[in-house]
Formats: sequence, structure tokens, C-alpha cells
Amino acid sequence: MADEFIKGLAIFSGAGLVWLIIAGWFRTPTFYDAQLFGPSPEDPDLLVELALTLADVMFWTAILGALIFWLIIPIGREAHAYYHERQEA
Amino acid sequence: MTDETDQTRTDGGGQPALPPDDKTPTWHERKARKDGLARLTYEYFERGRLEDQRLRQESDYIERDVLGFPTWPHETIRNLSIGSFFVGMIILLAATLPPHFGDEGDPSVTPEVILPDWYLYPAFGVLQLDPINPSLALLGGDKLVSDELYGVVATGVLVGVLVVYPFVNKGAARRPVEEPFWAAVGMVGLSFGFTISVLSIDQLVADRMTGMTAPLVFDLTFIAPVVIGVVTYAVLRAMREGYMYELNRRYYRLRPPR
Repeated sequence: MADEFIKGLAIFSGAGLVWLIIAGWFRTPTFYDAQLFGPSPEDPDLLVELALTLADVMFWTAILGALIFWLIIPIGREAHAYYHERQEA
Repeated sequence: MTDETDQTRTDGGGQPALPPDDKTPTWHERKARKDGLARLTYEYFERGRLEDQRLRQESDYIERDVLGFPTWPHETIRNLSIGSFFVGMIILLAATLPPHFGDEGDPSVTPEVILPDWYLYPAFGVLQLDPINPSLALLGGDKLVSDELYGVVATGVLVGVLVVYPFVNKGAARRPVEEPFWAAVGMVGLSFGFTISVLSIDQLVADRMTGMTAPLVFDLTFIAPVVIGVVTYAVLRAMREGYMYELNRRYYRLRPPR
């Protein structure tokens, strides 16, 4: 259980860090309005496009990775153990 | 009961005669007994030690008499790498995240909202407890103390609770599950620290969040911590037995030998 927690935390913080940096750089036009989720720059060049795509990927990696390792895998294990207990009984 | 009777022991004695497992005195029995207390206390601790010893003998864990690691090179290298990581993280974030340069302040205009820095919000919120400053019918509905004095006294009471707390709960538990009640008290304190901070900006919250009003924020300041405390106690109480079992099993089922 502890191993799954640290895996989830590593994915969450690592991917979140990459997303935070890109979103802070490209999607924070002003500090008086939406930050990190602000509008994307207009007509971005190829590198900016790549960075924004990477940010999107990392954002969902952080959320789904944490979900998978903190919820889905432990729930699956519990269900598995419960199923086996029921079969033995 | 024992299988290590003729072992040499550091305290000079042989294996003490311990009562069978189901006759272990509970904490309350031990507390109630006035005579033979030394013997009883000895049995109490000796039982714990013996159980520990048995578990160690049953486990296939390699016992090592290493209590720590030397400062050089182990601790130094480890601390250097951890320190380098955080320094690198600071440099990375400072280099990549754009800094916030706010608009210039106008010294001739008073700001609309006057608030201290965020870390002073709890103390600022305590000063806004005037709605619960009781008025007395005896005084014709007047308040006994002014709202200002009431806020200062309330601050003193909260600081007093923090001062008294370590004397009431000695903190023997290493994990929240071991003492659900005190864990719940801690959660009440933490969440009250948060809600009292929100109370200090109740007007902002009421303006920006739909459905929130200043009186509602005031009520939630006291209701939310209690709810959180009850939920904490219930959850920890429910998970205590299984969690402690897993923890002990994990602790004693240690690395197999090569």
C-alpha cells in the first residue's frame, strides 16, 4: 500500500511540476485574472504548440496517475482479496 | 509457554513467570492495584518485551546491530543530494515561472479591503467573534465587555488551549489510528484554524462564492470543525484494528536472507 502511495505521489508531483512550469510560462498572461488556466497564446509556433500539448498530457498524467495508484489499484487489490476470501470460505 | 528458559539474560534473572496471555492485566486493573505494583509493572513490560522477542525469533529477518549511519560519508552524501535537489528545484522554478510584479501601490488611497498578510488571518478572524459576545438581560441588553476586549480575551483563550494541550495529551501515540480521539481533536483544531481564517475574509467569500453569506460563513466556522472531528474519529476508530494488524505484520515480516 505504501509503495502504491509513493508511486502515485511521484507521478502526481513530477507531472504536476512540468505542467506547472509550462502553464505558468504560457497560460498566465496576467496575475489579475485566470492564472495557469488562462487563454493559450494566439498563433503559437511549433515549439509552443509542443509545449502546450506536453502540458495537457502532463496535467492528465498527474490526475489519472494519482487516481490509478491511490484509488483504482488499491480498490482492485481489496476486491481481489475479498473475492479469494469468499472463495475459500 | 517459553522456549528460551536457559538463556543468559542481561538482567541476571531467568525467564520470569508471566501469567498466561488471557490473564494480562489491563491498564485499568493495573491502575486500580495498589500493592505489588512494581511486580505488576514489571510483568506488564516484560510481556511486551517477550512478545517482541518471539516475533523476532519467528521472523526470517536478518538482525543487524546497526543503530544509525556514520556522518561521513553516508549522512553527508545523502544530505548533500537532498539539499542539491531542493536548491535545483528553487533555481528551476525561479528561472521558469514568471514573477508577479503587481501594480504600483498608491499611497494616497486607502484600499477597499484592509487585511493583514494571509498567515495572520487566524488571529484576525478571532477578533471578529463579536456576534457571540453575549449581551446580558441584567444590563438591559448591553454587553458586559466591549467587542474589542472580547476579541482580545478570545485570542487569550485560544492561546491558552494551545499551551495546555501538551499537558493534557502526552502524545504517546505515534500514529493517528492509535488514539482516534486525540487525532480528532487535532483535526478539529486544524480545521478551526482554517475556518477562523476564512471568517476573517467572510465578506470576500460571501461576494465571490454563490450561496455564501457572511452569517453562513460565521456558522460554518464552528460547525465544520465539529463535523470534521466526528468524521475523523469515526473513520479512525473503524480502521484502527485492521490498520494496526497490518502495521505490525509489515514490521515483523522483514527482508528475507539472501
